[in-house]
Amino acid sequence: MSGLLKKTTGLVGLAVSQNPHERLRILYSKILASLQTMPQDAAYRKYTEQLISDKFTHVKTEPDVGKLEQKINCGQIEEVIFQAECELALSRKMSEWKPWEPLVEEPPPNQWKWPI
Amino acid sequence: MAASLMRFVRGGLGRSFNSFRSSCVLQQTRLQSSDSSETSPTVKPKDAVTHNQLTAFGEYVSEIMPKYIQQVQVTCFNELEVMIHPDGVIPVLTFLRDHTNAQFRNMIDLTAVDIPTRPNRFEIVYNLLSLRFNSRIRVKTYTDELTPVDSAVTVHKASNWYEREVWDMYGVFFANHPDLRRILTDYGFEGHPFRKDFPLSGYVEVRYDDEVKRVVAEPVELSQEFRKFDLNTPWEVFPAYREPKEAPPKLEAGEAPEKK
Repeated sequence: MSGLLKKTTGLVGLAVSQNPHERLRILYSKILASLQTMPQDAAYRKYTEQLISDKFTHVKTEPDVGKLEQKINCGQIEEVIFQAECELALSRKMSEWKPWEPLVEEPPPNQWKWPI
Repeated sequence: MAASLMRFVRGGLGRSFNSFRSSCVLQQTRLQSSDSSETSPTVKPKDAVTHNQLTAFGEYVSEIMPKYIQQVQVTCFNELEVMIHPDGVIPVLTFLRDHTNAQFRNMIDLTAVDIPTRPNRFEIVYNLLSLRFNSRIRVKTYTDELTPVDSAVTVHKASNWYEREVWDMYGVFFANHPDLRRILTDYGFEGHPFRKDFPLSGYVEVRYDDEVKRVVAEPVELSQEFRKFDLNTPWEVFPAYREPKEAPPKLEAGEAPEKK
């Protein structure tokens, strides 16, 4: 479908995706599943769930690739796929790092004071 | 801002009327308006929209990663700065790179600042760029001479040589760096030249010796003794950051303030 519309993304190293909807559907459901392991009140989970589910509804409702790109408004669909892959890797790392915990250590006094 | 907008509107009107060869009254008003515009001071107008956007994004980041982010600030030139704990270098940089709302994929610069009076004398500064959102961010962390900082090479390949430079110039050790060796100084050089306690003249000087037919290094001999200068300026440099000279004396618990 998209192969008929365009031959290239115009970006080096980014091939045209043949089945972007399928790919995005898999990636987004994986991200959402990975977010489920985090605590409910984690800000990362809250914001990312909202962000991803918004895009997921666009992917579900819009069959045309060009219009979908306009609705998501984050570049070409191949770039959106790449961003989803990054987000998936990040969400898995985030559950290791647990950045929603309180601050590990206060800065020493006057560390961030400028001018000295 | 409003004044410049007004000027633009008036100038545009004048030009359009000129093309219609209208009366010279309009031209006169146009001249007057351009005269009055010069009296306004040449101060960069405040960009409140960008400032608010950056503040909102800074709050967003610090809300997501409260474990590592100690402070977020937007400078007067609309640059977003995120101060983090040294443990959080890799998590914060990875988050800024991979999160869909951030996408800071390019490392523009990595450097250090030496402030010897602080217990953690080195500030490590990361400058990042997001091409997707046309935005920049600065991440700062701190360390001392002995504590290693996590290397950012796994996140940004560009930081490889920058970290070698910081190691060479400041002596900050980066843990897990693939190839941490000198990059700018000469073979056999000792010391870290960008530290504030490194003398400007260096410790050794090299020259070609005709007798031994090679370059020899000798300790620096200065023709003049080191002098001590009084470098404090008689002027106040940062009036905006003036501190109160004497803090009001603190009251002990149960002591009532004296009434006059």
